[in-house]
Formats: sequence, C-alpha cells, structure tokens
Amino acid sequence: MPRFLRPLAVVMLAISALVFVVSTGTARQLAAPVGEVILTVSGSIEATGPDTSVQFDLAGLRALGARQIVTSTIWTTGPHSFTGVSLDVLLRHLGAKGATLQAVAVNDYAINIPTSDAVPGGPIIAYEMDGEVMSLRDNGPLWVIYPYDSDASFRSKVIYSRSIWQLDRIDVID
Amino acid sequence: MRLHELVRRVLLGVAITVVVVVTVLSVKFAVNDIYHKINLMNSASSDNVQWSLSQAEVEFLELSAAVAIAVRDSVPDLAPVRREFDIFYSRINTLSRGSLYADLARVPDFAAALAQSRSFLNAVAPLLDGPDAAAGLTWLEGALADLRPSVRALAIAGLPHFAAISDARRRDVSETLVWMAGLTAALIGVLALLAYYFNSLNRQNLRRGRDLTQTNLRMNAILSTSLDAVVVTDINGCVLEFNHAAEVIFRRTLAEVKGLPIGDLIVPPHMRGTHYAGMARMQAGGPMHVAGKGRVRLDAMRADGEIFPVEMALQLAHDAETPIFIAFLRDISRRVAAEAQLTEARDRALAGEKAKADFVAVMSHEIRTPLNGLWGNLSLLRDTGLTARQEQSVHNMEISGALLLNHVNAVLDITQYEAGKMQIAAMPVDLNRMMQDMVDGQSGAAGANGTTIAWGWVGAPMRWALTDQACLQHVLLNLVGNAVKFTPDGSISLELEVLARDDQAAEVEFRVIDTGQGIPQKDLARVFEDFETSDASFGRITAGTGLGLGIARRIVRAMDGEMGAESTEHEGSKFWVRLPLKPAAAPTRRARTPNVRVPATPRQVLVVEDNEINRQVVRGMLKAEGHSVEEAADGRKGVAMAAARRFDLILMDISMPVMDGLQATQMIRTGGGASRDTPIIALSATVMPEQTEQFLAAGMNGFLGKPLSRDALQAVMVDLPGAGATAGPLLDRAQIAATRDSLGPDAYPKLLARFVIEGDDIVTRHAAMTDDADAVAEIGALCHKIASSAAVFGATRFRARLRELELAAHDGTLRPPVINPGVAAPGSSELGSSELGAVWVQTLAALLGALD
Repeated sequence: MPRFLRPLAVVMLAISALVFVVSTGTARQLAAPVGEVILTVSGSIEATGPDTSVQFDLAGLRALGARQIVTSTIWTTGPHSFTGVSLDVLLRHLGAKGATLQAVAVNDYAINIPTSDAVPGGPIIAYEMDGEVMSLRDNGPLWVIYPYDSDASFRSKVIYSRSIWQLDRIDVID
Repeated sequence: MRLHELVRRVLLGVAITVVVVVTVLSVKFAVNDIYHKINLMNSASSDNVQWSLSQAEVEFLELSAAVAIAVRDSVPDLAPVRREFDIFYSRINTLSRGSLYADLARVPDFAAALAQSRSFLNAVAPLLDGPDAAAGLTWLEGALADLRPSVRALAIAGLPHFAAISDARRRDVSETLVWMAGLTAALIGVLALLAYYFNSLNRQNLRRGRDLTQTNLRMNAILSTSLDAVVVTDINGCVLEFNHAAEVIFRRTLAEVKGLPIGDLIVPPHMRGTHYAGMARMQAGGPMHVAGKGRVRLDAMRADGEIFPVEMALQLAHDAETPIFIAFLRDISRRVAAEAQLTEARDRALAGEKAKADFVAVMSHEIRTPLNGLWGNLSLLRDTGLTARQEQSVHNMEISGALLLNHVNAVLDITQYEAGKMQIAAMPVDLNRMMQDMVDGQSGAAGANGTTIAWGWVGAPMRWALTDQACLQHVLLNLVGNAVKFTPDGSISLELEVLARDDQAAEVEFRVIDTGQGIPQKDLARVFEDFETSDASFGRITAGTGLGLGIARRIVRAMDGEMGAESTEHEGSKFWVRLPLKPAAAPTRRARTPNVRVPATPRQVLVVEDNEINRQVVRGMLKAEGHSVEEAADGRKGVAMAAARRFDLILMDISMPVMDGLQATQMIRTGGGASRDTPIIALSATVMPEQTEQFLAAGMNGFLGKPLSRDALQAVMVDLPGAGATAGPLLDRAQIAATRDSLGPDAYPKLLARFVIEGDDIVTRHAAMTDDADAVAEIGALCHKIASSAAVFGATRFRARLRELELAAHDGTLRPPVINPGVAAPGSSELGSSELGAVWVQTLAALLGALD
C-alpha cells in the first residue's frame, strides 16, 4: 500500500469504527426481513423500520424467542401445541406505546386487542401448530392464541374474538 | 318437666337447622347451576358461529370475485385467487374440525354441504398448487358456480339449529331462573318462618325478662323491707347480697362487703374456726349442721367488733346451677337482754319464794315443838280426873289446838307439795268404807249446822280401787269440810260415779254437792289459788288459811287427776274431782282399820328425846297403855341404853344435842348391841320429804310427826311384830276337849305325840331356814300343813303364828327369824330361841299340862 494511502486507510477505518459504534449504539435499529414478510407492525412504536412500520419474516419472529402453549381451542379438535412469540415480548421489543392493538387478518377480519392483554402467560402470536409452520389454509401463518385451557377467563366470547387467525398486520393505536 | 322442655327445644333446634341447611344448600346448588350455565353461555359455544358461517359465504364470494377478475385478464394474476382460496379453505377446514361446530355437523343438510365444499376444495387445491392453474381458471369459475348453493346451504342449514339451541338455552335459563325464584321464595319463606320464630322467641324472652324484672323488683322490695338481715353468699362464703337490714344490723354497706368472705365480716373471732371448718366440710360434700336445720341461735359481730346474739336460719339454694347460701339473721340482742331481765326477775322471785318456803318450814317446826307439849299435856290432863268445868275447858283447848295444828300442817303441806316430792301410794282402798267413815265423821259438824249429809254411787259402783287413801281422804275432807262450813240448814250429797272403766283402768268422779251460799262466778276461778278465801266477811267467821283448795288441787294433780267447781250464788256449789283409779280386787286379808282399837301387848320402849316436856308426854301416853318406858336425853345415851338391853321399840327424836337421831340410829343398827334389830321410829316436827328419806336410809322403820297424837302412837304399838299373835289365847280348851272326845282316850295321846314331832320339826326348820325362794316356799307349805293339826289340838296362838308365816311365805316377805337366846323360856331347849319357838314351847307345856 502506498504510503500516502495509509492515513486514508486509517481514516476509513476510523469512520468504519465510528459507524459500528453508532450502529450498535442505536440497538433498536432492526434489520430488514430477509424472507417473506408475514407481519407488519405500525403505529406508536419506538423502533421503526422503513415506512414507519416494522416488518417481520418468520425468522425475525423466531429471533424474539419462542413460547409454547398447549391447549384445546374451539376451532380445533383436541389439545394442540402452539409455538410463537409472546405478545408482551413482541410489544416490549417494539417499544409499543399505545393502549390498543388493531389486528387485521389476511381476510380483512379486524379486531382490537388491548395491550393490557399482553402479559407474561398471556397470548402468543403462534407460527407453529404441533411443531409445524401453519400455512394460510391452516389458519396460518400467524394465529393469536390465548392459553384457553389454563383459565376460564380465556374462554370468553371477547377473548375468542381476539383470537385472530391469518394475522397479517398490527397497528398500535392510542 | 324440665327434661321434656329440654327435649322439645333440642328437637325444634334440630328441625330449624335442618330446614335452613337444606334451603341454603338448595339455593347454593341453584346459584352454582345458574353460574355454571352463565359460564357455559360465556364460553365454549359462545364464539359467533353464525357469523363464521356467513363469513364462509363471504369468503366464497371473495374467491369467486377473484377468479372472475383473473379469468378476464389475459395474463391472470393468480396470487389473489390463491389467497382467497386459501382463506376459504381455511374457513371450511375450521368448520370441519372445530369442536364449536361438532353439534352442527350432525345436522344432515349442513354435513352434506360441508362435504361438498370439502370435496371441491380437495379437487381445486392440486390445480391451484400446480403450474397449470391459469389454464383451469375457467373450469374453476364453473365449479365455483356449482358449489355456490352448497356454500349457501352451509349458512342456512345452521339457522334452525342455532334457533333451536338458542331456544333450548333460553328455556334452560328460564327454568333455572324459575327454579331459582322458587328456591328464593322457599328461602324467603323459611327466613320468614325463622323471623317469626325468633320474633316469638324474642317476645317470650322479653316477657320472661319483664316477669324476671318484676320478680326481681318484688324480691328486692321484700329484701330491702325485710326487718331480718338477709345475706346471700356463694359456695365459698363470699357475699353476693347484703340487704338493707343487714347493712343496718352489721353496720356495713353492700358495696364494702360484696365479694368478701362472710366469715371475716360477721362471724366473731371465737367462732371463725367452727365456721370455716363447717364450710370446708360442706364443700367436701359432708353433712350440713346448720343449713336447713331451722333457727339456730349464735353470736354475730358488727363492724365495730361488737358481738351480739342473732337467730339464724341458713338455707342452701341453687342459683342456676351454682349452690348459694341464704342466711336470714335476726338481731335478738334486745330480746336476749329482755329475757335476761326476765330470768333475773324470775330468779329473784324464786329466791324470795324459797326464802318464804324456808321461813315457813322453820316456823312450822318451831311452832310444832311447843304445840306438841301443849297437845300432849292436854291429853294427859284429861286422864287425871277432871271436873265437868275443867273437862269443858280441856275440850275447848283441844279444839283450838287442833285448829292451830291444822293450820300449821296446811302451811307445811304447801311447802312439801311445792318441793314436788309427793309420793302417791297405790294400795287397795275400800271406797265405800272410806266414804262412810267420812260421812260419819262430818255428820256431827253438819248436824250442828242443821245440814244433812249423805253419800252414794251414781251408776255401777266400784268398791275397791288402787290409790292413796290418805291423799284422797285429804282432798275429799277438804271439800266436805268446806261444804259443811258454807251450808247452813241445807243438804250435802257426796256422789261417786265411774265415768269410764275397763279391766286395767277406770276414771272415777267424786262430787261434793251442797245447797249452800255458793260462790260468785267471778271468784270461781280463784278458789283454787293459795291464800284465797271466798270473801272477807266469811273469812272472818271461818278463819281459814285459804290454803285448803290449793293443796287439794296440788294433790289431785300429783295423782294425775283434775278438779273443778261449778256454782250458782245463793243456790249451792258442786266441786268435782276426777281421778284415774285402777280397779282392785278386795284383799283376802281384812285391811287394818285405824279406828279399831286392838289392845297392845305390853312393850318395853326406849324414848330418846332432848325436850323434857315431850319426853314426859310420850311417857305418859305409853304408860297409860300399859307399856314400860326408859328415857334417854340425847343420842349417845340412847345408843348406850339400846346396846345394854333389848327393847321392843325405840322412839327417836331427830334434832338432839351431842348426837342426833340419825347418827344414833346408825350406831344402834351397826353396833351389834342387844337392840340392833329393834324397830326405831323417828319422832320429829321436821317432815320435809327429803328428810323422811334420810330417816329410812339411816335404818329407821317409820316416822311419827310432832305433835304426837295418841292414835298415831297406838297404831305404831299395834303394828309391832307379834302383837296380834301374842294377844290371842294360847289354847282353845273347848277344841281340845272335843278332839279328845272324838278320838278316844287311847288315840289322842298318840296323835298328840305326832303333832309334837311336827311342831318341833317346823320350829327347827324355820329357825334354820335360808333366804332363798325354795326354802321360803317349803316353810310356807309346812306351815299350812301343821296349822291344820294345830287347829285340831286347839293350839290357837301357835296356829295363828303359823298362818302368819304361811301368808308371809305366800307374799314373799318371809325371812329367816331373829334368833334371840335371851327370850327363851326357862327350862326349854334351843327351840325357844325364835318367836315361833317361844310360842311353841308355851303351847307344848300347856298341851302336856292339859293331858292330866
């Protein structure tokens, strides 16, 4: 390397290092999804990606940590194992500030879920049923599942209405 | 009753509890049921199924629309078609497998439509998933059109089912609500019943409370107005109640004593030991000595330590289940003081009475002694050959003397009866004879008054009775004497009547009825009192002591009888005496009558008397009867003379200088002198009952009161042993002659010889007899046998002696004879050493003499 280039290299390196430091300093800056986007979250959230919304592919959701709920549902027969990201984990990850989540399905079914539901032991956004990724035909790819069997309070009409399947997007509103 | 009540309450309580429990359980069950049903509505079946069914149709239409758009495009965009297909697929899939739709799946139309939908999906899926999807769009459009009715049917088929479910649920809820309402009504009913029951209980309790309050008020009123202290304590003796009277009596307030042990408060220190011992014994279940035993008199203590007498009644009661003591205490200190005063007054009065009685007794004695001299000398004077005028004077003096003696005797009698030492004899008495003698004795005095006197039985007579003749005579004589005194120119009748009689007992009434002046009604009750005379004016005339009826009444009482009087003024009086008398059989031996004079055998008499005048009187009386008399001026001389020779009788004064009569008698009896067995008769003006006992205890045989009367002395002389027997003739010579004639001169001496042997035998055996019953019976039988022989041979005196012995044996009074060698007839064997022997020796001599 020519001698005069060396200071330039140092400067470049320094800039790179600075960039790295800056990028790690803004830890909420999320990486853009690589695979098919299956969930888009918008509204009052701290971490915003492009278009003031955050998009997740399956890997992105998996990266948030999985939780499993074994329960029966009124839409299936017998108990099943559902795996997904806990709603409270997702909202904390996103820094959601609103009180209500407006959840919309692929078939345009829409329902409001109060963020107060998002507690540890509360609902998950399931992406696997019985260890397999759910297709659109099997109410997938995402299904909000409450632990119905664990408590009678989860077996109410309101909770059932919030159990949105073929979930597509969430808007965090006040 | 209490048990019944208890059982009733327990049963009622159980019943109420059961009803309440059943009702509450039913309501709880119903509430649970309703809650469960509400839960059901809220849960499993509560997602909006009908919406889902409609949504299936919507999504089907979306799919149809997407297909229609794609068909029209030359280069069809398959993505929307695929998405809508997947959505519809997902829906049908959900309808097929969801537990929510399980019931719906049993509706045939629905099941059929669903099956058609599924077969459509299964057929289309490979097409859309494959590469030739675009080519099949037109077919797909047609297939969708074909499927449309089925999808429609899906939505419609559910409707009646959901309507039915909805109806059933409504019905169910409605039934539950009705059931709930019923149960609630039942509960309300039960609650109402309970409310009623508790209300009535409450009313009852209120009433009881009111009653209790009233009772308490009443009790408190009683307690607070009680004059007696009422103290209530618990079982340990701690004060619970202390009424007003208790506060006043003990000078303590309820506030200061409440809860404190009673023993330290009102029990005086000297009684606390007993009190606490009693409490401890009672708490240990021991016997109660005071509680429930009525009134007890003991000492109590006031707050200031003053000890005073109380009367206490202690009761053990039960307050609920706890035992309590209730003590009623009465302060009797005033009463006790009053009693003490009374007692003192009585004691003073008694002491006065005693002093009076003693004075009277002493005075009587002092009066009698000189009277004895007067009286005796008068009777001696009579024997000296008096002129008619002198005779009259003596007679008058004798009357005055007799009156004076009567008065003195009456006063003395009073003291005797006051001492309560009257001895009532029970001897067979011939009432007829007694009455006749009395009438005979009083007829002279009555006749002098112009009054007739007679006696008689009313109803069946009862001639013989067991009683004390002297006492009875005394009483009747007093009544008759009064009647004679108070009945001028009238009549007196003495009536006897047996009021009641059986074999063992009889009640006899003696009535003395006169036609005299009578007694005013107001005085009738007083006539039996001491020192009462019927009126002052008459008292002057009759000069009575006023003691006669009082004494008579005392005697009658001592004889367990009663007496009384009825009278009408100016018409007459009736005095009656009722006595319980035992009927008696007439005695086999004729009772001796004092009035019959029996000439006494001459006796040797020793008179021991310090008063010379009295000695002279006695000597004069005895000599007049033919007895020989020796005199001693004091007891010691008397003892010496009695030891020296044998007397037939000793008359012994009691009060003498040097040695008194009692001591002298004891020395004569124990000294072994010649007269140690001689009868000794006391001579004394002292006639108090306890003293006569002393006389007998000293060894005396009898008693003669002073002043000495001739009759009494004569009676004693006649009563001396052997008097009657020796008085009779020795032999009945006429009998001897008759026997000898009938037997013949040859046989008579032989039989006489046998009689002599028999006589010797009985005399010997009698002299050697022992004191036991067999010996007495044997001698008695022998006497009887030989007495017959004695009669045959005319041995009158010997026979009489044998008869006496036989009777004595029969009575059990026969004793071994006194052996007296000095009395034996001269020339006789030892046979004559006894009295019987002496008679036998004389008889034998006479009989043998008569043989010639």
